[in-house]
Amino acid sequence: MDFKLIILCLLFWSCGDQNKTVEKDPLLDSWEEVTKASEGTTVHFMMWQGSPVVNEYINNYVIPTLKKEHNIDLQIVSGQGPEIVQMVMGEKEAGVKNSQIDIVWINGETFFQLKKIEGLWGPFVQKLPNATYINFDDPHISIDFQQSIEGMESPWGMSQFALIYDSLEVPNPPRNLEALEQYIKAKPGTFTISNDFSGMSLLKSFLAELSGSPNGLDGPFDAEKYEVLSKKLWEYINRNKKYFWKEGVTFPKEHSKMDQMFASGELSISFGFSEGAIEEKVNRGLYPKSTRAYAWENGTVLNSNYIGIVHNAPNKAGALQVINFLISPEAQLTKADPNGMDANPVLDLQKLPEAWRKKFEELPKRKYGAELSELSKNAIQEPAPEYMIKLYDDFRTFVIEK
Amino acid sequence: MTISEPLSLKNKASNIGFIFFGLIGILPFVAAFVYALLYSFGLVGAANSGFTTEFWISTWQSGAFIKSLVYSTVVAGTSIFISVSIALWLTLKFRKELEHPILAFAMYLPLAIPGIVAAFFTFQLLAKAGFFSRIAYAFGWITEARQFPDLVNDPYAIGIIATFISIVTPFLLLLFLNVYKNERVDELAQLSQSLGANKQQTVWRVSLPVVLNKTWTLIGLYFIFLLGAYEVPLILGQESPQMLSVLIIREIKQYDLSRLSEGYVVAVIYTVIVTTAAVLLFSRKNDVKHEG
Repeated sequence: MDFKLIILCLLFWSCGDQNKTVEKDPLLDSWEEVTKASEGTTVHFMMWQGSPVVNEYINNYVIPTLKKEHNIDLQIVSGQGPEIVQMVMGEKEAGVKNSQIDIVWINGETFFQLKKIEGLWGPFVQKLPNATYINFDDPHISIDFQQSIEGMESPWGMSQFALIYDSLEVPNPPRNLEALEQYIKAKPGTFTISNDFSGMSLLKSFLAELSGSPNGLDGPFDAEKYEVLSKKLWEYINRNKKYFWKEGVTFPKEHSKMDQMFASGELSISFGFSEGAIEEKVNRGLYPKSTRAYAWENGTVLNSNYIGIVHNAPNKAGALQVINFLISPEAQLTKADPNGMDANPVLDLQKLPEAWRKKFEELPKRKYGAELSELSKNAIQEPAPEYMIKLYDDFRTFVIEK
Repeated sequence: MTISEPLSLKNKASNIGFIFFGLIGILPFVAAFVYALLYSFGLVGAANSGFTTEFWISTWQSGAFIKSLVYSTVVAGTSIFISVSIALWLTLKFRKELEHPILAFAMYLPLAIPGIVAAFFTFQLLAKAGFFSRIAYAFGWITEARQFPDLVNDPYAIGIIATFISIVTPFLLLLFLNVYKNERVDELAQLSQSLGANKQQTVWRVSLPVVLNKTWTLIGLYFIFLLGAYEVPLILGQESPQMLSVLIIREIKQYDLSRLSEGYVVAVIYTVIVTTAAVLLFSRKNDVKHEG
């Protein structure tokens, strides 16, 4: 009898929903009511934790300040892109009403996937008081991978993809495909493309160059255009891959591996978002002080990263309050410190009160990395997500497996 | 009455044990398999829209699974073959020396190192900017890191095989040493020699068959374990072909949500192959026992 009871308990436990909070829609409440409802609650934030400076900003600034100013406990859960999508999909498939997560740090392709499975809650952005400081007329903010954000995700940061090089070793780095071809022939084995998000972002720049214009990939996905351009791209890479790292027989799985190889001198050109993210790595002694960043002549991708609220977030009021704090002038100023997270603010300085604008303008400049204002002269918009999906598949089929 | 009570208690205990085994050991496995099967036919999954065989067809047509299966089999088979050879050689040649307490302790040590750590060690040692490359540079054998040969993420899976060998060999060595002792192979060898066998005949016809006969099921299981290894090939392998687990995770985490089911197709085929192999392995083992 006891045993049957144990099994029954187990079944009920496994089928039951552990979090029973039922909440009214905070979008209908006034901001005062949202603030009141969020006090004393816990918000779960799923985010990428792969950078020490990001973790330091969250753990030593965001969490204690939120607790002090809003009495909210922010709990960080590790996970990015595919993990977030898997988690939301898994919960959806299992019919979980109250998610283990409230907010997620995402960018375009995850936004596209979450939208596809109706995994986000909103539109909520216009509800946030601090959203008034954001310029939603800027297409790099309001359009994410050629999709209008429609208030379903709040911009949190902005960054441009950049190539990086050691200025002592490579005084004149290649800025277009023709120069790259000459460069790798002269210095074989020192360049490669990682088979991940960063690598695909570089391929987007190449594709845009082959289109003949920085705006060549703007607009909805054009299959015909992609076929023509990608054919040229694979032909270019296959023609030259014998001069790549490991003679193009294999490619690094992740961009972090490229960082290590750049640091050890195995590669002399690398790349990455956040304008190449070199400031922190030079300060830590990982990269030489002669490291510099630059944009591709035809442009590299400039985009924003965002925070979304999952469709079944149990604490939506708390989620709104946390996101509003993250886009506050105070939090964005701390985030922009070049000796800290060194992230470009997503706020429009012209929309800020005078006192805050001054504080942003007085921030120390980067010592090694390029400023976004300088780099963004050579910027392209994120192409539609289908370009990314096709590039992933075809890079594997036509280059890696060839 | 007094006799039947302990018997029924014993039955009850064994029933409870069996039910717990079913609940903890079999049920989750079967549930996961059924879920993967349904996913592979598009019957579950937030991005799927109903029954279809397209994922099975596309997986088959892409050829990635077959390539990966062959690659995994060759890598696991080579690693097991070399590990068994080294462990057997050490057992037959140095079993007395290996009884020394320090050496016995040193043999246990690698068993405590998880695969992921072993893979990182290998990477640190064999990469182009790794330990051996630095030594080669210090001696002037190479002038640049890139001149060091490809030993990790390489087309011949040298890094993966080296790591597998370092993980498997100590385990097999301990196993062989125990079997050697328990089966009194030493005495059998002496007997065969006293009956006129030479040293080679003793090794090939007595010692090896006895040790291998007692351990081949475990060797087979270890082969299956290596076939499905994840962390080591993830860190040390190349992008194509990839070992099975790496391929499955790649497919399941891909950006194109409408094709996630292809990962489940590979997972289903892999599970069927491995389960069949394990069942065959054990049923043959039982047959041997029965005949014996």
